[in-house]
Amino acid sequence: MRLWITGSGIVSALGVGREATLRSLLESRSGIGTVRFLQTEHTEFPVGEVPMSDEQMEHLLGIAQGTPTTRTSLMGMLALGEALEQAQLTRDDLRKVAFVSGTTVGGMDRTEQYWLDLLENDKHNEFISTHDCGACTEMIADHFGAFASVTTLSTACSSAANAIIYGARLIENGVADIVVAGGAECITKFHLNGFNSLRILDTTPCRPFDATRTGLNLGEGAAFVVLESEAHALSRGVKATISLDGYGNACDAFHQTASSSDGEGAFRAMTEAIRNAGLTPSDISYINAHGTGTPNNDSSESAAMQRVFGSHIPPLSSTKSFTGHTTSASGSIETVICLLAMNNSFIPPNLNFNDSSDCVAPVAKLVEGVELNHVLCNSFGFGGNDSSLLLSKVKPASESRQASVSARTNAFPRPIYVLSAQHISAQQPFSRDWMQNPVRYAEPFVRSIEPDYKPFIPPMESRRMGRLLKRALAVSKSALAESGVENPDIIVTGTGLGCLENTQLFLDALCREGEYLLKPTHFMQSTHNTIGSLIAINMGCHGYNATYAHGSISFESALHDAMLQLCNTYHTTALVGSHDEMTPSYYNLLCKSGFLGNPGEMASECSVSVVLGENSRGNALCAIKDMVMLYQPSSNQLKQAVESLFSRNGLTSHDIAGILSGFNGSEGSRKDYCDHCGELFGDIPMLHYKHLFGECYSASALSMYVAACCLAERTIPQALYVTPSAEPVSISEHQALVLYNNDGKNHSLTLLTAV
Amino acid sequence: MEELILKLKNEIIEVLNLEDIKPEDIDANAPLFGEGLGLDSIDALELIVLMEKTYGIKIKDPNEGKDIFKSVAAMADYISKHRTK
Repeated sequence: MRLWITGSGIVSALGVGREATLRSLLESRSGIGTVRFLQTEHTEFPVGEVPMSDEQMEHLLGIAQGTPTTRTSLMGMLALGEALEQAQLTRDDLRKVAFVSGTTVGGMDRTEQYWLDLLENDKHNEFISTHDCGACTEMIADHFGAFASVTTLSTACSSAANAIIYGARLIENGVADIVVAGGAECITKFHLNGFNSLRILDTTPCRPFDATRTGLNLGEGAAFVVLESEAHALSRGVKATISLDGYGNACDAFHQTASSSDGEGAFRAMTEAIRNAGLTPSDISYINAHGTGTPNNDSSESAAMQRVFGSHIPPLSSTKSFTGHTTSASGSIETVICLLAMNNSFIPPNLNFNDSSDCVAPVAKLVEGVELNHVLCNSFGFGGNDSSLLLSKVKPASESRQASVSARTNAFPRPIYVLSAQHISAQQPFSRDWMQNPVRYAEPFVRSIEPDYKPFIPPMESRRMGRLLKRALAVSKSALAESGVENPDIIVTGTGLGCLENTQLFLDALCREGEYLLKPTHFMQSTHNTIGSLIAINMGCHGYNATYAHGSISFESALHDAMLQLCNTYHTTALVGSHDEMTPSYYNLLCKSGFLGNPGEMASECSVSVVLGENSRGNALCAIKDMVMLYQPSSNQLKQAVESLFSRNGLTSHDIAGILSGFNGSEGSRKDYCDHCGELFGDIPMLHYKHLFGECYSASALSMYVAACCLAERTIPQALYVTPSAEPVSISEHQALVLYNNDGKNHSLTLLTAV
Repeated sequence: MEELILKLKNEIIEVLNLEDIKPEDIDANAPLFGEGLGLDSIDALELIVLMEKTYGIKIKDPNEGKDIFKSVAAMADYISKHRTK
């Protein structure tokens, strides 16, 4: 299957839109300059800001004054609008379009502006629910109408590239016909100071690959591309000049903030992208390098390029010398820059380059009149989340090469086995005691029960880990040990808010003490992919690694990605987990926003890890047969989704032992679940688990754990019935459980069967 | 100097969160990085913050830190000569 790029949109320091971007590139005019919009004391650092204030962007978008927005979402809307327009997609088409966006900062610009107010008064409560990454993605999407699904990737500076990879997989697996994927990220004081605490910012314009380089300049922006199969594009009469022919994602598994000296992750990502496209290194006509300008990245990336290409390294440049490092958005911003270069036959120069004495030498001056047939676009993130995309010119059908991507079969869904499942939560850790003797709580907010971490993590390693990292590592190690899988092929992680404790320590220090002497240890743990990459570093796992951060569907998003890969690639095992922690002050904020603290519900925290295998190895707990995710479906669409889930798996309501719902006891939750359950599920018994485990962004991972335990033990404990049952009910051989989670906007249905 | 070395050991244990390590476990003349305590580049950044916050000593270039942070004794020596707080 050839994936065509039928639309693109871009916003960066080079301006709003493809035309402005193209002009700047052709004029070798950088967008990096003195800070104008960000309210920071650090005016010594040049930045690549989008040349518009928030108000100007709101005006351009026709957003009414006073509507809560974030700078990330405003830039995202501008880029998405341009992409949809080029692809000729209108509001009415969006129901069949999946939206995937990458961000790390999310709504941090507003959070850092109002943080002390949020803690102390009610002046800016509307900015509590705009903070998390998923909320930003939804804001971008909702500006245009009702997308079929929305997903948020968060792998730091490779987020947008990984969003595009997941988007490609959705189409290749027949889950979506059209995907819009990319990323958005504004500059915040939070990460400007974070990068400064790591001493990787340059006080002069950045010089990627130059021997005198001393660091990066932060940039900001957003970009999206519209992906669809060639056949689908032709069927609706749209054309493309560029296709996405390959992609690679690998983990450097070396260090949280540094790249290995031999660039192992980058080497693997580029190699996989080239192989995935059915090409060889000599086919590549240009590399848009990650090239941040830090001493470490550029020497590591140089080493990786030398390993892939030997002495024949293609022309390369880092366009971060134009835009600054646009962090989570860089993967899609640089993809669109590649599209512009390919369509207009030029190589954008690597500005400010003079001295090639310690790296590969980039193209320092604009080259025009050059045909770029195959281009690699590199994006690497903290934690060694390294990705590479391969873009090709679309040739007339007669000359068309057979891409190896077409060898993929449309095999999703097929049964994937849960080999093990472990939890650290409000119930006894690593234990199924809750099935007979659950711990009962009366408090509205309980912390997870912490096990002794010493058997899992040596003290010198654990000293820099917050509570959540320790928990995530321990629960992952425990799940892997139980499954007998030593080193999983892929690691996919979900988290709603990431390492909240350390994020908050950094934010508190920033807002109370000012922009100096902030602790790098706290900042390092604020990126959501810290968890997944820490696990990979600990296991030495170089395989696919991605993190999803989208509120209550973070776990389902991670699970979905893993399912697509186990169904359809050479990967056979996956470690999938979701991890969230809660602090007392953030709990108070979420009570003010109405997400937590409602009468009848209990807030908590949890870490869950499951090991999945494409074969059962004879001792699986259960099988995952199918899953569906929907965004803001109408009641009719939801009903159809349930019916189709049952019918395509040959099930009637008698085959379903229960619906394990996310009902948490509150009135709002009763509306979301109980009021519709009869209509959706007939008389299938309704089950719940949050009264035992609590509500949190990762709670849906607990539903997977709870269902896996029930199916393995072939029994449903009485405590799980919403309407009390007299006896524990046994599950017969062919029966299934359905996980149903609904956060008011995002719905997910996951079908599990006994094995 | 002995007093400063002990104070410094306690501060290092605190900022680097060296659980299970007591001041007497740290040899004032042993290397802090690589062997010895086995600290890494992020610890070096934390020590730079410690030097500025507590002793008013600014270290601009992290490479400069390599000699200053050779051992606790070396740090104490540098602090006693350059402290502004």
